[in-house]
Amino acid sequence: MQHWFWWALTAACVIWYSTITVYVAIKGAKDIKNMLARLDAQSRNEKEVEES
Amino acid sequence: MTNFNWLLDGSIVGLYLLVTMVAGLMVRKYVGKVEHFLVAGREMDVYLGIASLAATEFGIVTCMYTAQNGYEKGFAGATPGILMAIAMAAVGLTGFVIKPLRDSGVITIPELLDKRFGPRVRWAAGVVIVLGGLLNMGVFLRTGGQFLVLVAGLDVRYLEIMMTALLVGVAVYTILGGMLSVLVTDFLQFVVMSLGLILVTILILMNVGWERLVTTVETHYGPGGFNPFVNPTMGWQYVLFNLMLNTAAVLTWQTIIARVLAAKDTKTGRKVYTRTSFFFVCRFLIPGIWGIAALATLGPVGNTLEAMPRFLSTAVPAGLMGILVAAMLAADMSTDSSYMLTWCSVIYNDILAPFRKKPWSERKGLFWNRTIIALIGIFLLLYGLWYPLKGDLWTYLGVTGTIYLASISVLLIACCYWKRANSWGAVASIVVSAAIPISYLVMEQLPSTAALAKTIGPYYSGIATYLLSGAAMVIGSLIKPKALSREGVA
Repeated sequence: MQHWFWWALTAACVIWYSTITVYVAIKGAKDIKNMLARLDAQSRNEKEVEES
Repeated sequence: MTNFNWLLDGSIVGLYLLVTMVAGLMVRKYVGKVEHFLVAGREMDVYLGIASLAATEFGIVTCMYTAQNGYEKGFAGATPGILMAIAMAAVGLTGFVIKPLRDSGVITIPELLDKRFGPRVRWAAGVVIVLGGLLNMGVFLRTGGQFLVLVAGLDVRYLEIMMTALLVGVAVYTILGGMLSVLVTDFLQFVVMSLGLILVTILILMNVGWERLVTTVETHYGPGGFNPFVNPTMGWQYVLFNLMLNTAAVLTWQTIIARVLAAKDTKTGRKVYTRTSFFFVCRFLIPGIWGIAALATLGPVGNTLEAMPRFLSTAVPAGLMGILVAAMLAADMSTDSSYMLTWCSVIYNDILAPFRKKPWSERKGLFWNRTIIALIGIFLLLYGLWYPLKGDLWTYLGVTGTIYLASISVLLIACCYWKRANSWGAVASIVVSAAIPISYLVMEQLPSTAALAKTIGPYYSGIATYLLSGAAMVIGSLIKPKALSREGVA
């Protein structure tokens, strides 16, 4: 096939991008949940320290 | 005539906007400190980082200039994306510069420079970063509005209204939620944007066909459409300039670095780089294919920047058109919000640093950060309406970005790895790096010097900036007496 490099790169882009989108959509949602939980815990700890 | 259906596609776009705004506003309650506002409390993990970095670095403006590259240069137009992916993977794997940067615990790059070169260099670096960054971002709004007006088939008279509406929407959640809102909305925007990009690319590959895309490039550009070294508009100087530009961007572009600084640790920051690197090939190649498809379908057009949206307005069917517009809005909103926040962080943290003799309260700090973002928004609106873009968009972005990329990358590398580097070298590097691109931009605008600017070209001017900026750092550092270096910070 002529210009196989660009063909292979285009195919790699479509396949990699489709896969990573699904993967990041699932894992990224968990990251957000954990990040907000950590920030919430931090904020509660700081309030407790201030009150005590 | 366009396939945009206001009921079907408009509902999809409306739903996307509603969900994004609600998500962006909901997280504002977690913002209690300036650190939360600017770096999300340094709690960002790998996958959120990948989504945020990818969404930030792909806006409508990216889609427009990469498609323009594809239209004007064929497949070879994707060369900058390949170079950036290589640079990002290499930096992520080795931790070059980003490891010492993240380990230092700073919020911005100038803050690290302060530790080595002193507060004056920090301030000057901040000014250069903001100048280069805002000039660069100045064309985002107009280009974004241009795309939406063309794809949705709106009257061009609505361009300014589209630009203002886009900006106000983004500014509201960025002002209230800072980096936390940016990260959460970036995640949603990454998913929507990726869905639109993938579906439209598959549609184009099915309808236009690979063979036709290749034949179109062969007919219009010959071997130069596939190989940048033999393309008469590119050549070795284009490849070298883009290699320098993209490596410097990976090391110092504040919106990219902000993800490393917001990461929960250095290892996470490096993983974000390594795993996002291939996205930068997609970032250039996917819209590049859209641009080639526009050339195959429309043939030669007057304004090459508008070729791709004109093509999409009739090639994408109703329903998918709504997803495409939502995807592009997502891309644009994530970029605008991150960029506004990033330049705000430098203005607050570094340019205003001399005015904070005593530490400000968290409340006062948050107030000023929010005010700065609002002022950046007003500047962007005015600049976007006023500045007439000449030449191709990628080159404009490259030249304005070089104002700070050249010196700050030199400063950062020297700061991390060269013991002899000092403030004289840093100042010389900043001056040289800002003077050459600004002179080039001015020469390009003045009728009396426009021809000379064209003869020199942006690539030689860009290469000279990087080389001379490095030379200025070495010469400046070496001529400063050692006794003076020992007295001060450096």
